Formats: sequence, structure tokens, C-alpha cells
Amino acid sequence: MKLQQQVPRNALVWIIISMFALVAPHALRLPPWVLLVYVVAVIWRILVYRGRWSFPGRSVKLILIFSSFIGVYVSYGTLVGLEPMVALLLTAFAFKLIELSRRNDAYVLLFLGYFVCITEFLFSQDLLITLYSMLNVVLVTTALVALHQPGEHQFNRGSIRLAGVMLAQALPLMVVIFFLFPRIDPLWTVPVNNHMAKTGMSDFMKPGDVAKLSQSADVALRVKFDGDIPPVSALYWRGLVFSRMQQGAWSALDYYDVPVKQQRPREMRTSGDALEYTVIMEPSWQNWLYGLHYARATTPGVRHTADYRLSTLSPLETEYMYRVRSWTQAQAEPGLSQWRREIETRLPPGSNPRTRQLAQEMKALTETDQQFIDAVLNKFSTQDYVYTLQPGSLSELHAMDEFLFESRRGFCEHYASAFTVMMRAAGVPARVVAGYLGGEINPVNRTVIVHQFDAHAWAEVWLQGQGWVRVDPTAAVSPERIEWGLEAAMQAEGSFLSEAPLSALRYRNIPFLNLLRLRYDALTYRWQSWIVGFNSERQLNLLRDIFGEINTRVIATVLLGSWVLVLVPVSISLFRKRATRQVSRPDRFYLKFCERLARLGLVRSAGETPGQFFLRAEAALPAYAGQMRDITSLYNQLAYAGTADGEGADASTLDTFSRAVKRFRPSR
Amino acid sequence: MADALGVTTEQGLNRRLRASFRQWINRRIPPAREVTLDQRRIFIFPSKAGFFFGFCLLVMLVTAINFQNNLGYALTFLLAMLFMVAILHTFANLSGLTIRALRARPAFPGQQTEFDLMIERGRQRDHFGLHLMWPGSSEALVNLVDEDTVTVQLHMAVDQRGWYSPGRLLLESSYPLGLLRCWTWVDLELHALVYPRPLASADLPGLATDTPDGAAVTVTGSDDFYGFRDYHKGDSPRHIHWKGVAKGQGVQSKQYTAYADRSVWLDWDMFPGLGTEQRLSHLCYWALEFESRNQEYGLRMPAVVIEPHMGDRHRDRVLRELALYGMEGQA
Repeated sequence: MKLQQQVPRNALVWIIISMFALVAPHALRLPPWVLLVYVVAVIWRILVYRGRWSFPGRSVKLILIFSSFIGVYVSYGTLVGLEPMVALLLTAFAFKLIELSRRNDAYVLLFLGYFVCITEFLFSQDLLITLYSMLNVVLVTTALVALHQPGEHQFNRGSIRLAGVMLAQALPLMVVIFFLFPRIDPLWTVPVNNHMAKTGMSDFMKPGDVAKLSQSADVALRVKFDGDIPPVSALYWRGLVFSRMQQGAWSALDYYDVPVKQQRPREMRTSGDALEYTVIMEPSWQNWLYGLHYARATTPGVRHTADYRLSTLSPLETEYMYRVRSWTQAQAEPGLSQWRREIETRLPPGSNPRTRQLAQEMKALTETDQQFIDAVLNKFSTQDYVYTLQPGSLSELHAMDEFLFESRRGFCEHYASAFTVMMRAAGVPARVVAGYLGGEINPVNRTVIVHQFDAHAWAEVWLQGQGWVRVDPTAAVSPERIEWGLEAAMQAEGSFLSEAPLSALRYRNIPFLNLLRLRYDALTYRWQSWIVGFNSERQLNLLRDIFGEINTRVIATVLLGSWVLVLVPVSISLFRKRATRQVSRPDRFYLKFCERLARLGLVRSAGETPGQFFLRAEAALPAYAGQMRDITSLYNQLAYAGTADGEGADASTLDTFSRAVKRFRPSR
Repeated sequence: MADALGVTTEQGLNRRLRASFRQWINRRIPPAREVTLDQRRIFIFPSKAGFFFGFCLLVMLVTAINFQNNLGYALTFLLAMLFMVAILHTFANLSGLTIRALRARPAFPGQQTEFDLMIERGRQRDHFGLHLMWPGSSEALVNLVDEDTVTVQLHMAVDQRGWYSPGRLLLESSYPLGLLRCWTWVDLELHALVYPRPLASADLPGLATDTPDGAAVTVTGSDDFYGFRDYHKGDSPRHIHWKGVAKGQGVQSKQYTAYADRSVWLDWDMFPGLGTEQRLSHLCYWALEFESRNQEYGLRMPAVVIEPHMGDRHRDRVLRELALYGMEGQA
């Protein structure tokens, strides 16, 4: 093999380190056998290195590749999609290590490593993940550097220095290009993470779903209001509207269920000042967005639906930022179409007969729809209904009968659902709305953090002359939930976050930890709004703000200017004339020893031998006599035993000597 | 016919291109025993791995665009800028180095000649993975980390009598990242002397007529001790009067009468009717033969006369004359 193609041992160690560092953040998403492949690959490669095993033959390689395809197919049920593709990539990455014998193989492996870094960002652009990926880039680059340091037969930690320095030099240049590079629309559609566990609300809700979701302390969205933050109890984040009930579960209408003419939302008369705010959603793998009633998004690409929701065309795979204006007082759909009225009063035939009967009886006793609503809410608040996170399970078809007349234990979706069924049974158009209620105000940066446990379901009723009106039956059962949040409402039960013992939110009562959590959250918000949410619109605004007018000349000037500013100092540091020192290693350590003594006023004079200097130092610092004697005698051994550069000297003596000097820290 | 013509014009073009490249590089890096590498003398270009890296960056950029992933953009740009920074670092790995020609060992055809070079760094920084070779020579891969200089031996097979010029030395490195290759072609004016190929002949024709016993007899006569003379460079160490040296009498060589009397002349005219190269080969063989027998020998060739003597220096002188016979213009 040609000399240059050899892979130094140091490089091999760095390659293995970087491989494990790269696969670590993917580990939880990967099927366990992929991790096993990594362990086997490393053991195999080490055995090859020790000469105990051999590189895989062509047929073995083919079998490995083929079985990895089968493994991925079995684990995911498909080969298409982001997750199976990343799993395949990571398996190939491990196999490449087994057959790594030449420098060219190492290039393939390490460049693949950079690509593995980028795939991590497709799953999360979290601040910590970014910092960790930065470390991974340093590690891969270090392996690349070590690959070009022939003759390093021992693991050398020092290789990381140059990689770090070079990346630090590249970083400012990267920042400039990051903000200047035009953001282009996708060139073609890309595979979706259809295997990712969807988080947050689903477009299908049956009693118990929201209660389950409320066990999660994950952040769902962060909101920054341009002005003052409205009272938390008024923050009803509308996400989904459930208009259809089937087999005891609520589901949303599909876009194409709606007649073409009614697909677009009808413009509302808006009056007064709008609330303006920015929302950053965590990846939900769903395509609906959240907003306060009546929300109009100003971010291009956001769709508005007929039931006044916001959505995107494709599911959110990463953090997504959008701007919204909301008119909370606007009347929604003052005139109801025949089709809409029919849809919003429909119930599955034959379901919940007792509930229907009760509703019709109560409706007959009241004059107006509003009175009927009040009567139903009154029933919830005065009778022995319990608001609980542990509602127990209900049967499918007659779930509401069971809940209203027997168990009487329910979470918000039970009350919203029962209320809506009763409204519809009495002929009043009603629907269930799901989303989040409230949020935590972060005092550090005045954002509202909405967690998954803020998930909530309420109802909307259409009233003549008022349009769709929000009614929250939960407020009748548990006013604390609306006013103080879920934790307060569940204080007696003690069930708040009972399944998330490690969540930082559980330690809110420790001020130091809580402040730390809120500060980190504020940092996350800033990170997400600046880096993750950076798009062509923000880019345009930013460049206009800084440079006024944007044209190619300005951009070229900035680009070249940044290169000159960074690369000229780098060149100076690289090519500056630095005289070569011809100081051997023993001398270097001995000089360090002298330097430490000089700090205490003991300066070795020009003609003084180490022995004479020791006698003088011993007299001045008797406490360190032993250490100084060792150092002096070791130095004499090294300086006169071998050649001048310490090459011939015993390596272990040199080692002892250097350690003795490092330990030597005299003080008066 | 047309094909043959095409080939010849192509070869001609090739030769012309090569010649003009040689002219250009001779102007740019003139031949010298010692060359210090600076901007003028170092070439840099992306390596194969560098182009592959560029392709990977393109794939990463497309990924970032398609997934609208800002951190993907950031990583891609970071690596692209790493490439930019690597240009300077790769360049710095060769810059400031001084390559010095030390010597070239003479060799017989079919053997390997050895070229000794020294690399010295001009500034206090680590240089890694310096790869040196002549076209067709062995290769060397050295670092300059703890020392300021390093000597390098390169071996090359030779087969033509006379001065052998290895051409321009390639010094290259792709440290630190391998994305760029940095190289230089330096002519160190190193020439290796290649002796004629020794070729045995049955006997020495001219000599056989003088002494009936031939060369074999002369060897035994070397015992007759004659006296001492001051040591001259080139005297065999075996003839040094070591006891005298030990007593502090200065270095003296023992003299044997047989040498003066039975010294041999290796004469160009000993091999009538043979071609130049064959004569040289035979002369070379006998010179080595007499040297190994510790017998003095002289060389008589057209325009060259070397008085009989023996020892390494004498042998080298004789072999040099044989190697360079008829080649004055080339050295």
C-alpha cells in the first residue's frame, strides 16, 4: 500500500470516537439492532487492527448490505421516508468502518459523518442538539486531521486543537454567508417523517385523549406578544375544530369534506386593535397551527380554513415560526349556511339515547338557546361531577350516557363532548374545539410558554346574531383550571405530571432551578426566532435594516470584506516568521522548573550548573529540597545519558521527569 | 496511415507541451542545491478528496434547501468555509520549508542509488505528512514536529552508465484536512554517478603475456614488507602501522615491495576488437577484482592515465573515469 494511504492508529481511534458521538443523538429513534451493528463493527475493526481477524470479503459485504436493507424494512415497514433512510445511512456508516483500510475509505466515512450531522438537524434544531452537533463536527474534523498525521501510533488528544482552531476561523465566515445566502424554495418534495411519533393534539379525539396528553411536560409552542400579554385565562389557543362525531370519537372535517364554495373562510368584520404576536411551534408532525380567535396569519404559506383555523400544507417536521393578528371580539360566521347547520347538528343515529332525551327535555323547559346553555352548565356545576385526570374508560357507542349518568368523572374533553352532544340533540349548532388553554409567562423575556399539559377542549355554539360563541364547560366544573391552570386544579388529586418525574417543571418550587429553566427557555426562544425561524422574509428585513439597499454590489462587498477581515489575520498567524527553537524536551521542562523558581526570586545565573543551582535553591527553600533534588538528578541523567535532543534517553525517565516538573509548585 | 500520422503528431504535441512546461518551471523554480519554498514555488489545488467533499457539500446544500432547514444551511456553509481556511493551512504546511540536496551515492547498473536530502523548517510550527518522491523512486513520508530538520533517503534503480539525473523532485502534502493538495517540483541538481556494469572476462589478455602465472601469482607476493611511509588518504586501513599509532609515532602505512613491482596496468588496449561499453565493463570488473585482492592497479585510457595505487579513493577515481568515459559534455 502506498505510504500516504495508510491510516494512522491515532486517526482510527478518533474515527471510532466520532462515530459513536454521531450516532448517540439518533440512538433513541433507531431500532436497537442498529446500535448493535455499531458495537460489532467497532469490535470487528479492532480485531482486524490487532491482526486477529480479516477485512470482510466481497460476499460478506453484500450479505451485510442486503440484511441491513431487510432489517430496516422489517423495523419500519418501508424503505421510503426520512427515518428509514437515516437508519440505512447510519448502518452503512457502521459497515464502512469494518472495511476501512485506506485513507480513501476514511474520507468516505468522515464525509458521511458530516452528512449524519445534518440529518440530526432534520429531527431537531434544538439549542443543545446544535451545540452537540458542533462538537461532532469538531470530532469528525479532528479525525480528518489525525488521518494526515502519519506516524502517530498512540492516541493523541492534541489533534483536536487544530480542528478546533480551523473551525473557529471558519465560524465567522459561515455566519456572514448564513445571513446573506438567498433562501430558496424546496427544489423537490422530500420524504416526510411518517414514522415519527406524533405529539400534541391529534385530529381524532375520544374521551381520555386530552387527559393522556396532559401528562406531558413538553413545550408545545412559545408565543411572544408585541404588546401586553392578555390574561392567561383568556388565552384559548384554537388548533382543531371537531365537527363530526363517529363511534364515540370526534374528528375534524377534511378540507375536501367542505363544499368548494365554503372552503375559504368568510371575511369577518373586524374592529378595534388586533393582538399581534409571534408563535414558534415545536415540531408536531401535524399541519395545524394555533391561534387566538379570530386569527389571521401574516406569514406567507399559512392557510386559513372555513372554521377559522390556521394550517400549513405539510406537517411541521421542525420548529415553525409564524406571525398572527387576532381580533378577539370579532363575530365569527354571523350567517350559517344550510350545509354548515346540518353538519354542526348531526349526531350518530341511535347513540347516547339518554343524553339526547335529557337535552330535549331541558331545551323544552328553556326559552332561548342561551338559557338552555346556562341550564346545562348549571347541571355540571351543581351536580356531583368530578374534574379529574383519571376519568376511567368509557364504552364506545354510548360514552356520553355512561359519563353523564354513571361515572360522572371526566376531564375537559368529556365535558366539552357531553355539552356539544346535548346542544346538537336539542338542535343547537355546536362543535368541540381542541387546543391549549393558558400558558406560563416567562418573566425573563415575556414569552408565553404553552406546554402539552395545557391541552384543553371546549365547545363553540352558534347563536343567532352572535355567530360562533365559545363556551367552556370545564369552567363550570373546575373554575380553578381556567383561572390558575392544571396544576392548581389537580392539587387535591396530586396527579399533575405524575408520569413525568424528571420534568424540570416539577421542580418549579426550587427558585434557583426554576430561574435556570426559564432562562434556558428564553434562550431557546431567541435561538428559535433568530436561527430556526430565519426565512427569506426576515432575511430581507434584516439586510434592509443593516445595509439599506440590497444589491449584488453590497452583498459582494460584505462577503469579500468578511473574508479579508478573517483570512488576513489567519494568514499572518500562519506565515509569521517565528524563529525555530532548538530546545530539547528535557531542557524545555528544566527551563520551566527554573521559571517557577525565578518567580520566587531564585534566578539561575548564566554559568550556574544545575547542581550548583540546586544547592542554592535548597538553602533558600528547604521545604522543597526533595522535589528539587529529584528534578535535578533526573535532568542530569537525561541531559548526559542520551543525545542532546533527549531522543536516546529512556522514555520512562523523561516521563517521570516531566511529571515531577509539572507537580513542582513551590511557594514561600 | 492517417492513424499513424495522428499518433506521431500527438506525440509531437505532447513532447512540445512537456518541453514548454520544463522551460516554464525552470524559470519559476530554477534548479539549485537548496530551495526554500515560498508562494512562487508552491502549487495548490483541490485533491480528489476535496472534489468529493465539494460534491458532499452540494448534497448537503440541497438537503438544507429541500427541508428548509436553517441549521443544515449553517453546517453546509461552515464546512465550505472550513475548506477556505484549509487552503491557508495546507499552504502553510509546505511554506517556509528548505529542501537541501545532501548527496547521491554512486551505484552500478541494476542497483539502487540512494539520494540523501534534508528538509529544514523555517518557522516554529509542526509540519506533517511531507511526501517526497522522484518519478520512479521509492517514496518517503516524514513529519517535522520535534526537530527542525529531517534527512530523507530516496532510492531509485539505475541502469545507464554516466551521470544519472533523477529530474524534478515532487514534494507534496495534503495536511491538515486532505481536501487540498499542495505540491512543488524542485530540481536539486542532484546527479548520481552510475558505473559501468562489471563484466567478467576469462583473463586479462595484455597481462597474461607479461607474467605467465597471470594475476593469481601477484596476490601472494604482497607479504614482502619493505618499510613505512606517512599515511596518505586512500591507503588501506589494513596497512596502517597500528602499533606505531598506539605508541604515538603518528599514522604510518606499511609498504610492500610487491606492489611497486607487480602493479598492474589496466589498459584500454587490452581488449582489442571490443566495443567501448564492453571494454569499460571489463575494465570495471578487473578494477574491482584487483581492489579486492589488495593489489595496486593503474588505468590507461585515451586521454586518461591514473598511476597504480589502491584503496577506496583510488577505486572511486578509477570507476568514475570509467563511468564518465566519453561523456564529458553531460556532467
